[in-house]
Amino acid sequence: MNFIDKFFEKRARNVAQLSNRRGFIKGVAATLVGASTIPLLPVARASDTPVLPQEAGDPSSCDYWRYCAIDGFLCDCCGGSYNTCPPGTEMSPITWIGTCRNPIDGRNYVISYNDCCGKTQCGTCLCQRDEGDRPLYRSDKSNDVNWCLGATSSVYHCSTAIVVGIAFDEGSSK
Amino acid sequence: MSALSLYAKRVVWGLFILCSFQTLAADNQLTMNIDRAKFNYQMFCQGCHTPDGTGGKSIPKIKDHIGYFLQNQVAREYLVRVPGSANSSLNDEQLAEVLNWMIIELGGKSVPTDMQYFTTSEVGELRQAPLFEVVEYREKLVEQLSVK
Repeated sequence: MNFIDKFFEKRARNVAQLSNRRGFIKGVAATLVGASTIPLLPVARASDTPVLPQEAGDPSSCDYWRYCAIDGFLCDCCGGSYNTCPPGTEMSPITWIGTCRNPIDGRNYVISYNDCCGKTQCGTCLCQRDEGDRPLYRSDKSNDVNWCLGATSSVYHCSTAIVVGIAFDEGSSK
Repeated sequence: MSALSLYAKRVVWGLFILCSFQTLAADNQLTMNIDRAKFNYQMFCQGCHTPDGTGGKSIPKIKDHIGYFLQNQVAREYLVRVPGSANSSLNDEQLAEVLNWMIIELGGKSVPTDMQYFTTSEVGELRQAPLFEVVEYREKLVEQLSVK
C-alpha cells in the first residue's frame, strides 16, 4: 500500500511540476474551438445537396421536359405527381433511366421513370415519347419492360419522372 | 557494431521499406473520374440495383456485399463476366471505372483491405467470356465466399 501511495504521489508531483492548470484549460479550449471549425471546412458538401433543376412547363402535359423518354400514363393526371405515386399504389424500386434536357438551364438531367403499381391502368394522359428507348433485348434501356415486376404487385398503374442527378458531360470535364 | 555501420544499416532498411511501398502503390494505382463513374452507375446499373445498391426481389445486393467477390479470382472475374457488366455498352475503361466506383462507394466492410482495383486491360480480357447461367453460377460462388 505504501508503495502505491508513493508511486502516485511521485507521478502527481511530476505532473504538477511539468504542467499548469491554465495550460490544461488552454488545451481544452483550443480543442473545442478547433473541433467547432470542422463543419466550416470546405469538404464536398455540395454533392449531398439534392439536384433541383429549374422548372418550366405543365407536369400533366406530355410535352413536359422530364417526360422525354417516358412510355405510360402520367401519374400527375392519376392522383399523384411527376415524382410521387397516387394513393393506393406502390412505387417500383427498379426502373428504367434516361436523360432529358431541361429547357430552362440547358442541362441534361438523369431521370428515373419509376412505375407506380398495384392498381389497374390509370387510363388518362397516355404519353409515349421514347427518346433513347432501345429494343427489349437491351432491357435496361427499354421502356417497354413492365418495371412493376420489382414491386409487390406487378399490375401497372402510371409512371413518374424523378430527377436523380445531372448527366455527365465528357466534353465539359476536360 | 560501430555507430557508423548501425547508421548505414538503418538507412538501407529505410530505403528498402520506402521502395516497397512505392512498388505497391504503382501496382495498385487508381485513376477515376468520379462524376463519370457515378453517372454510368445511374444509367446502366441503378435501374435494377437501386440507387444505394440494395437491389430487391431477385436483384443481387451490391451494398456491403460486392467486396466479398474479391476474395478469390473466380469470384472477382464474375463481377466482369456477369451479363450486366460484360454486355453493357460501356467501354473497357468505363466499365473498370464503374466497377471500382461501386466497390469503393457501395462495398462498405465487405471490401478486403488489400483489394486490387480493376484495370482496363483486365476488364477488356474478362468480358470476352460473358456468363449465361448466371443465377446458378452465382449461388455456387457465394457458397465458397466467406460472408460476415
